[in-house]
Amino acid sequence: MNFKSLVSTAALLGAAAFSGGAFAQTDGATLFKQNCSACHQAMGQGVPGAFPALVGDKLLLGDPKGPAYVVTHGRGGMPNFSEDLTDDQISAILTFVRSSWGNKAGPVDAATVKAVRSANAPPSNEAGLPFH
Amino acid sequence: MTMNDSQGAPFSRRDFLERLAGVGGTALLMTGMSALGFGIASAAVAPPVLQGGGKGKKVIVLGTGVAGMTSAYELSEAGYDVTVLEGRDRVGGRSWTARKGTKMHEIGGEEEVCDFEEGYYINPGPWRIPYFHRGYLHYAKKFGVAVELFNNDNDQSFINYEKGTGPLAGKPIRKVGIAADMRGYADEMLAKQVRQGALDAEFTPGDKELFLDYLRSEGYLTRDDFKYIGAEGREPTINPGAGLDPGEGKWSKPYPLTDILKSKTWQVLKSISALDQQRTMFEPIGGMIMLPLGFQKNLKPKIQLQHVVEKISQTPGSITVSYTDAATGQKGSVTADYCVCTIPLSVLRTIDVQCSPKFKEAIGGVSYALVGKMGIQMKTRFWEDTYHMYGGHVYVDDPMISTISVPSTGWLGQKGVVLGFYPHGAAAAKISAMSLAERKAYALAGGSKIFPEYAANAEGTFSICWHRVPFNMGGWAEWTEEGRAKYYPTLLEPEGRLYLAGEHLSYLTGWQEGGIESAWQQIAKLHKAAMAA
Repeated sequence: MNFKSLVSTAALLGAAAFSGGAFAQTDGATLFKQNCSACHQAMGQGVPGAFPALVGDKLLLGDPKGPAYVVTHGRGGMPNFSEDLTDDQISAILTFVRSSWGNKAGPVDAATVKAVRSANAPPSNEAGLPFH
Repeated sequence: MTMNDSQGAPFSRRDFLERLAGVGGTALLMTGMSALGFGIASAAVAPPVLQGGGKGKKVIVLGTGVAGMTSAYELSEAGYDVTVLEGRDRVGGRSWTARKGTKMHEIGGEEEVCDFEEGYYINPGPWRIPYFHRGYLHYAKKFGVAVELFNNDNDQSFINYEKGTGPLAGKPIRKVGIAADMRGYADEMLAKQVRQGALDAEFTPGDKELFLDYLRSEGYLTRDDFKYIGAEGREPTINPGAGLDPGEGKWSKPYPLTDILKSKTWQVLKSISALDQQRTMFEPIGGMIMLPLGFQKNLKPKIQLQHVVEKISQTPGSITVSYTDAATGQKGSVTADYCVCTIPLSVLRTIDVQCSPKFKEAIGGVSYALVGKMGIQMKTRFWEDTYHMYGGHVYVDDPMISTISVPSTGWLGQKGVVLGFYPHGAAAAKISAMSLAERKAYALAGGSKIFPEYAANAEGTFSICWHRVPFNMGGWAEWTEEGRAKYYPTLLEPEGRLYLAGEHLSYLTGWQEGGIESAWQQIAKLHKAAMAA
């Protein structure tokens, strides 16, 4: 069963196919596609001036705490994913991104994500009443 | 001048304004100041008078959203020689309406063509006009753009919160029941404390009885013992009508307090809505594009479409905008005395703007909202026919859906276009990573939780994720406190002959009014400089 038919089956059943915890997806490539690719693009090339390229990015490929902090706290236009993704999922995404498209940096483990996540409380993403 | 509060103690207008700002933030402060006749620029109600006229001086206006249109219209009316460049093949910017044949191609996405039937539409960007957005209403009136009421709060709407617990979690329930019960229970508990004398210290003589009267009235409490046993108007089990059954008076039973608390549905309740969500709200009949079209019809200069700006450069005596004509591929440029640039900062930062390092840094100093919307044409108006819900929003706690809204137009008609999702931030990032088919499937699954007939009624769709839309790269500017302090003031001042305007340069970010009032402010500055030159 491919991804697309999985989605439409889920839709027919009225299931929450994409809600972070319930789906428990831990494949880095899939999670990257679902959460990151819309802005950073499918091959991590980004959109100049709007969304940073992930290929060769110094912060991403440096100390694992750096990218873990950005994903759990947000930065600039990037929202924080702290309420959408588990430590394991963020670990899987960062490990995937740091070793794809020519990037050659080591894995980021879930313990690092956990430590950084609780460093300072990230702003809440809680869906409130309508904005505009 | 002083005013008196209920204690009879005088307090100054300043005290009053500080109190206002304390409860309602800056926006309420502004309205208060406006009402008290301070006439501060941030709550302007009419375009600036450009005394003395433009005397044929040349101005380039970049962009034809409401900020660009306002600038172009007022400046050309005042006698400036205005050239208007628009990057797209249409006017309006985010002030726009998608209908049959409307095309969208997000960066990294698929080609999309709106397949609604003739006469049906969705406003993919701004969609509602609060009553105090006087600039928008000024131009709507001036250009004869007809408006209708936008129902922004419907007691008969549904709440479906899945993240709570207990028997009410994950079930669509009417807002009216939750509102009646939460307030009734809270009033009952407070009344009990007051009657027992627990709060006597809070009252001046005579006030305690009045306060109890208020609680009884507000919460529909029983006359003598202040119990909440249900409220008039709370989902009657039988609607009043003809015949022997009285109907009215047979109100449904309240939910147990514990069930409501655990369901978290009370999160949709506020004593009053935030200022910019209060009644009365409007929408233009025929869609948001009607106002830009109204401007266009009344604008003296012809708008140059598909002129994509590549560079803005200046000499001490002039400013030049270089562009590529997307229709022909030819490059060209316009030189003028001044330029009003309404291009979003998210896009301007990708353009070669020759300016000071400080100004350049400020252009990059704000983020833009990740935000998505989907319109779904429905073949029947089941929300009206079956659920008696006329306009308003369904509240859900799945952030990828966020809000489902039924239309405030086409009442009692055959079909209608429903807003299927309105996610923001990380949730919008996820929605935007989906294919168009996946987005539709997700929206239909979400709506089906509220209305079982949702998916079977769905016809055409149109979706948009603004952070991936060329010429926008985001829904609206989201300033941080730091950015407001460090960069915002820099961008409000002209950079030589360049004036920026748009919602991003206001405290009404994301609203049409922000664009209009920013344009008023900037063209007034431009005119002052032109008069002094």
